[in-house]
Amino acid sequence: MKLEVDRVSKHFGATAALDGLSLHLGEARVLVLIGPSGGGKSTLLRVLGGLEVPDAGSVQVNDHRLSADPAFLQAYRRRNGFLFQQFNLFPHLDARRNITLPLEKVHGHDPTAARELADQALGRFGLLEHAAKLPAQLSGGQQQRAGIARAFAFSPEILFLDEPTSALDPEMTAEVLELIQELAEAGQDIILSTHEMGFAKAVADQVAFVAAGKIEECQPPGRLFASPDSPACQRFLSRVMRY
Amino acid sequence: MSRRQQIANALTAVALAGGIAWLCTAVLGNLGRETDWAKAWQYRESLWIGWWLTLKISLGALLGSIVFGLLFLLGQRSPLPVLRRTCRLFLEFVRDTPLLVHLLFGYFVIFAPLLSRPLADAGFEDKILIGGLLLSLFGGAYLGEILRGGVESIPRAQWESARAVGFSPVQVYRHVIFPQALRRVLPAIAGLFVSLIKDSSLLSVIGVSEYFYNTKNFIARSYAGLEGYVPLALGYLILTLPVAWLSHWLEKRFRHET
Ligand SMILES: Nc1ncnc2c1ncn2[C@@H]1O[C@H](COP(=O)(O)OP(=O)(O)OP(=O)(O)O)[C@@H](O)[C@H]1O
Ligand SMILES: [Mg+2]
Repeated sequence: MKLEVDRVSKHFGATAALDGLSLHLGEARVLVLIGPSGGGKSTLLRVLGGLEVPDAGSVQVNDHRLSADPAFLQAYRRRNGFLFQQFNLFPHLDARRNITLPLEKVHGHDPTAARELADQALGRFGLLEHAAKLPAQLSGGQQQRAGIARAFAFSPEILFLDEPTSALDPEMTAEVLELIQELAEAGQDIILSTHEMGFAKAVADQVAFVAAGKIEECQPPGRLFASPDSPACQRFLSRVMRY
Repeated sequence: MSRRQQIANALTAVALAGGIAWLCTAVLGNLGRETDWAKAWQYRESLWIGWWLTLKISLGALLGSIVFGLLFLLGQRSPLPVLRRTCRLFLEFVRDTPLLVHLLFGYFVIFAPLLSRPLADAGFEDKILIGGLLLSLFGGAYLGEILRGGVESIPRAQWESARAVGFSPVQVYRHVIFPQALRRVLPAIAGLFVSLIKDSSLLSVIGVSEYFYNTKNFIARSYAGLEGYVPLALGYLILTLPVAWLSHWLEKRFRHET
């Protein structure tokens, strides 16, 4: 994927969540955002995913130049997949219906085709036996995997994942991270934010350090984790790597 | 239940049964001699017509209040502040004044002078239509508030996820927000519908000859007591109980989902 983010700002009241942030990436398969809490990772992901409109600046993702037009943004969101920290699934629908409903209503598949696609995705992520369960009957890890299965069933151009494992215990975290890595290796374009540095190192082509609403540094993981250029990133890494 | 609770329960049952039995003997002893169920049978036609009209008015008011309730919901969530404010003001007014006043004022002062003639000319019964309209507005005001509460109780994550999968704003409501909100406010809606059925009896004040009106006439003309009030209560129970049961059943069905 290709990213051209130019001096993007986003304010919430008096806080600048994004403060003139720029990021230029010619080619990357998996971009990982790391950085301190409140630094602006989620906001950046939401802007890139078309869920939030910046106050200023321009954003281009692949060949889509993002505009503030609601119809454009809706169409843009349909091309991509998005996964939040938790509560992604619709609690009144079972796992399979969570996938088939958007396939039918958003992507225009007929019910049989939607069901086939959904079962393919569920099967691939080892969830077929849970297809008829409501989200409340699934474990946290299964819920996140079903969320990824849903996003994946739409054949997203880019998959956006915002701290997909931070609400999970370590074992479930591992099962979800494995799955993401598998998708990345299969060639899926992914932009994700995470506090799991080991995972970032393993899966990323590029790691961007986001702090105070800016990108302080963007490098391949080998470089960024071994010898970060910016002092802020050095401090951050030495703090999170200590334990 | 523990042994002591069982004993307490049994004693309470005996005391309650005794109290009710005493009340019944006292009341029936007073009335008993004159109670003549044949009277009610004589008036069966008028009672039946009244009950049937109550059923139609109730159904109409339920449907009407759903329409108004949705409109008031939209009004309260409108992006235009002036629409939101006006809507809130109107709802506040309707909910904080008696239905009796709406019916008397709405019929005699507002709608009858405007609509009675044209409605009558078109072959409609103006009292029933206007009364039903006023009842629908009243129910709609409550329903609008109930629905707003339900919609606003759905967590932000659901709105976000719905947008993220690419639903249009209408689809977000249709497929994600409403199904969840309705499950949450179902008991409140059922309560409202039961109230609407009972409140339809107030239409008697503008002269609509529904069940309460006709029964009252029958009681006044035949000096009936028990034989008038018992069918009256039963007539309303037949209408309200199915609504209550339906809501309990749906509630049970939805319970495990959340
Ligand atoms: N909807 C919102 N309303 C108000 N303030 C917000 C909103 N979203 C984000 N912010 C603020 O913007 C700043 C950036 O938040 P953001 O969620 O992007 O950070 P983050 O890097 O994702 O943090 P974390 O690692 O804790 O998830 C924070 O100060 C946050 O309080
Ligand atoms: Mg975040």
